Amino acid sequence: MPTIGRRKGALEQEVLAALAAAGRPLTAAEVLADLGDGLAYTTVMTTLSRLYAKGGLTREHSGRAYAYSLRGDAASVGASVTAHRMRRLLEAGDDRAGVLARFVADLPPEDEQLLADLLAAASRPQEQADR
Amino acid sequence: MSWVMWSPLAVSGLFWATAGPVGRRLPPSTAVRVLTVAMVITALATGFVLGVAALLVVGQAPPVAAVGEWSAAALAAGAPVPLAAGCLASAAVGVLGVATVRRAARTGRELRVAARACRSLGPAIAGLVVVDDDTPEAYALPGITGRVVVSTAMLRALPAAERRVLLAHEAAHLRHRHHLYVQIAELAAAADPLLRPAARAVRRGVERWADEVAAEQVGDRHLTARALAHAALARAAAGRTAPGPVLALPGVEGDLVERTRALLAAPARRRPLLAAAIAGLILLTGTAATVTARSTEDRFETAQIAYADPS
Repeated sequence: MPTIGRRKGALEQEVLAALAAAGRPLTAAEVLADLGDGLAYTTVMTTLSRLYAKGGLTREHSGRAYAYSLRGDAASVGASVTAHRMRRLLEAGDDRAGVLARFVADLPPEDEQLLADLLAAASRPQEQADR
Repeated sequence: MSWVMWSPLAVSGLFWATAGPVGRRLPPSTAVRVLTVAMVITALATGFVLGVAALLVVGQAPPVAAVGEWSAAALAAGAPVPLAAGCLASAAVGVLGVATVRRAARTGRELRVAARACRSLGPAIAGLVVVDDDTPEAYALPGITGRVVVSTAMLRALPAAERRVLLAHEAAHLRHRHHLYVQIAELAAAADPLLRPAARAVRRGVERWADEVAAEQVGDRHLTARALAHAALARAAAGRTAPGPVLALPGVEGDLVERTRALLAAPARRRPLLAAAIAGLILLTGTAATVTARSTEDRFETAQIAYADPS
């Protein structure tokens, strides 16, 4: 059951991302604590079970619960090689019209401070609203 | 006939001057769609009228006229196209034709590479591929199903809410087939270089479009802006410590300051008048090409009658 505001598969991706970011096995409660955002425990639990059933995760006993981690098997080594090749393609430089859509590209040095300032502004939404 | 015939070039010129601002004014999803359609029709119409101009001049050459069995004098009557303009048009048709074919080949090649990469990435769970890598990186790889590829460094650099923004952004690229808009726009710009700024506007537009989709899904524009800025700054920080030179390309998708600013501001208003104006221009170029086709046909017919019956 997809949570309101999320598209199908989005929560699965977020759970995978949370596990990858943690770099260690997480229980459902820990995943929930990381994601927060008003999710129900059972929703996270269901998502973890589904990902486990699909073969995306491994799990081990952690007390009375399971702790899940990303499955890092041979398939992901192949994925890693492919991903590196993709990155080289991205970094070929002249290819600004390629088929890959990056989240963020390299930042020109002069934009770094500008962006840091904008970030500071974005972190103070209240103050901005007051002005 | 003359001004009608050249109007696709005038419209191309108008796009050259205005595509950037227009792309920024309209809501991104509208801008990308409208600009891409406008570019395709304008490029086709421009290519067509250049071809006609070339034909009208080349057709006056006696050997060509003899083969075509039309009267060179009748074809030249009233000088629909100045000789110099016709020669320029011939050269342009040749050069741009080659550029278009090469661009099409490159697009095909890149899409094949991406599809192959998708296959070799295997059946990714939930369409997400996590790569163990110290460089913060995230991108969408188009294909039949498509993949989102994210490095562990990128995931670690962002808190959960911002990871959600990133994933929603990349999923939007795949769901709305953004790579097709970009590739079609590039093809049109190869055929008609006056459309180059419009192609850049489309490329920028798909990033803004994905940003807006992500912002809508997480329900927080400021959070979306923070995710962008954090990801970009993490990349910049990794670039400083990485061995070897890192090229800082001011890529089009790299207009991060602009993207962040747009998210911090209110969403773009819908501008029906602006969209209608572009639709009008598209209609104008399409009509101009049709009228040119009709009058050129008439001209050749007249020249053939004059050839058969030179009285």
